[in-house]
Amino acid sequence: MKTLSRKLSSEEIQSFGNELEEMRKEILSKVGQEDADHIKRVYKVYRYTEALGRGLLHFSFDPITFVLGTSLLTISKILNNMEIGHNVMHGQYDWMNDKRFNSRTFEWDIVSDSSQWKFYHNYMHHTYTNVIGKDHDYGYNFTRLTEEQKWKPTYLGQVFANMFLAFNFQWGVGAHGPRVEYMEKPKKQRTKRTYKEYRDVFFKKIELQLVKDYIFFPALAGLNFPKVFLGNLLANMFRNLWTYSVIFCGHFTENTETFSTEELKNETKADWYLRQLKGSSNLKGGKLFYVMTGHLSHQIEHHMFPDIPAKRYQEIAPRLQEICKRYGQHYNSAGFIKQFASVWKRIFAYSFPDKIATKIMEPRNAKARKRLDALSVQTITIEDKELTAVS
Amino acid sequence: MKTFPFIYNQPKDFLNSLQWKDWADFLLGEINPLFSFTETKAKVIDIREETADSRTFVLRTNRNWKGIQAGQHFPVSVEIAGRKVTRFYSLSGLSKEKRTLQITVKKQAGGLVSHYLNERTQVGDILGLGAAQGDFVLPKTLPNSILFLAGGSGITPVHSLLQDLKERNFQGKAKLLYFSRHDKDIILQDSLDLLEKENSWLEIKHVLTDIKSEEYDFGFLSKKMLEDFAPNWKESLVYLCGPAPLQNSAKQLLAGAEIKSELFLLPNQRVSAFSSNGPKEVSLLLSHKTVQIKGEKSILEELEEIGIFAPSGCRMGICHTCVCKKKSGAVSHMVKEEASGEGEENIQICVSRAVENLELEL
Ligand code: FES
Repeated sequence: MKTLSRKLSSEEIQSFGNELEEMRKEILSKVGQEDADHIKRVYKVYRYTEALGRGLLHFSFDPITFVLGTSLLTISKILNNMEIGHNVMHGQYDWMNDKRFNSRTFEWDIVSDSSQWKFYHNYMHHTYTNVIGKDHDYGYNFTRLTEEQKWKPTYLGQVFANMFLAFNFQWGVGAHGPRVEYMEKPKKQRTKRTYKEYRDVFFKKIELQLVKDYIFFPALAGLNFPKVFLGNLLANMFRNLWTYSVIFCGHFTENTETFSTEELKNETKADWYLRQLKGSSNLKGGKLFYVMTGHLSHQIEHHMFPDIPAKRYQEIAPRLQEICKRYGQHYNSAGFIKQFASVWKRIFAYSFPDKIATKIMEPRNAKARKRLDALSVQTITIEDKELTAVS
Repeated sequence: MKTFPFIYNQPKDFLNSLQWKDWADFLLGEINPLFSFTETKAKVIDIREETADSRTFVLRTNRNWKGIQAGQHFPVSVEIAGRKVTRFYSLSGLSKEKRTLQITVKKQAGGLVSHYLNERTQVGDILGLGAAQGDFVLPKTLPNSILFLAGGSGITPVHSLLQDLKERNFQGKAKLLYFSRHDKDIILQDSLDLLEKENSWLEIKHVLTDIKSEEYDFGFLSKKMLEDFAPNWKESLVYLCGPAPLQNSAKQLLAGAEIKSELFLLPNQRVSAFSSNGPKEVSLLLSHKTVQIKGEKSILEELEEIGIFAPSGCRMGICHTCVCKKKSGAVSHMVKEEASGEGEENIQICVSRAVENLELEL
């Protein structure tokens, strides 16, 4: 693709990386009381909204309590997943030595199992961000977002598939987990049994979640069973829609770049930083919005410093932007609506074969461009011949 | 793994997944910070100045406290800059009331927690506690003669042992040789004086090591001092608690006697005590192995070199796959270039180097 960033010499990349390392050290030295207070406060809100939400649902005999209960439960689930779960499991708060905020012991209210998530997200996705074939979050195995994924007719339906995924996002994320772990095993060790083990971990978590939300809590409510059931279903659904939207805006907007495994060879830490920058995109908004996205609004900062307490991204962002400007690097940030629209444009475009896709969007990488150029040269020659033939 | 339905085959896991203990803890904590379902906590109910740089804290624990014996120690955690830090302190005095404890803390050079407790902690603050441990306690049947050797803050467990003797109507003889830097540095002095006055079986001798004073003896532990004060040391049970130099010389002089000793080292003392760059011993607690590593590269790499593959991911300190609990020993963080504390904490082994012998939950 036409990259919006200037090409840097290897010395420039190195000094770019050094500046980020410096910043990392500086910010880490500030991490302390403030961050602990923040996460504890969020934790409190999460607990209270859950208690209140579930309580209201429990006795929801009129529509108002039902709507209120469901909304509070939704907020609680979003906080549990985003600002608490996602960040805690990145180890952002391990230093606190508090078992509630420890990446080893934390388990979240979502169908993907935390230990599997830490593998495919923390390790695979964050190390190999946007590297096609390595980063399994890239399209979650069924969305095509670049020429480097070969087109298949099934992709024609991906707009609809993604709408479906949005409503059931946690299932999509959870389900690709066992497969990622399986695929990352050396070929010889891949047996049916190992796959079954991974799958069972996932199945177990599913069962726990389903029983909790759809049997245990509704049953507690006795006659009010159906309403509690429905409230849980809706809360999970809204949470799914929200997390899908936020997360897809993080890497799949129009101008985020993809990479090939060849580019990984001899990659330095500085190159890695640069790749994180080019592969991520931010959302602009207010403080409340940031917390509700778990600060994935600051996807770029998060990808550079995944284990720095997320609220710090707000103070990193302007400084990072300034650095990017100096190095002529594009800093991909826009409002939610704009980024979201650009994600869907991309999903739509790449549902078609490259020929059509590249009419809607700029080709994404040099290789694809060359191939396309070659193709168009061919067509021209054919046309030429035909022309001569006719004349 | 037994499969579907998991809830039937593994009901415990299911119950835990509801996180009901977290819930209970949260609710109880909202009502009163001392209340907890799972954690042992204590409220500071009184603080007494001992010397310019040491204070005694009287603590009242919540119901989770399992009790303690005189002479034992227990972990105390405080939150400093958002971080829970744990250090061990000995019980420094007995109390008639149940669930009331006393510790005496002296500021240590560079000691994070000892400074925090001395400077910041106030009556009403909540501290985290752990289970009591240690065998620096009195035997079931008391011997006829006991010799206590204490230095500096090493007096704290000894003080509780003396009180214990009093409680148990000790019939023999006990002697305490207590080393302090100078006369203003004697910890728990009033209480010791009182004990000596009230109990004829007890004899205390104060010795100063740094600054002379009229009323007290001066010098370090020597053969003569020992023979003069406690000629029958060979027949005594010896309790020894204090800084490393005192312990070393005492152990040499008292060769042949039955000695119970307790040594607490602070992080900075540890580093200097073990700063040799030689190989480090790492005990892997979960796999029951003890191995030698060089302490030159990251723990992760060095373990791999000897064929132990711990979970790892990015290997550059970002993904936290390699986090593991360190039970004891110190490491240095290779990126942040700083040393860790000696206690229990979680470390990333891909960016940590062994500074001394370690115990890891691996
Ligand atoms: S292996 Fe990723 S943080 Fe240590």
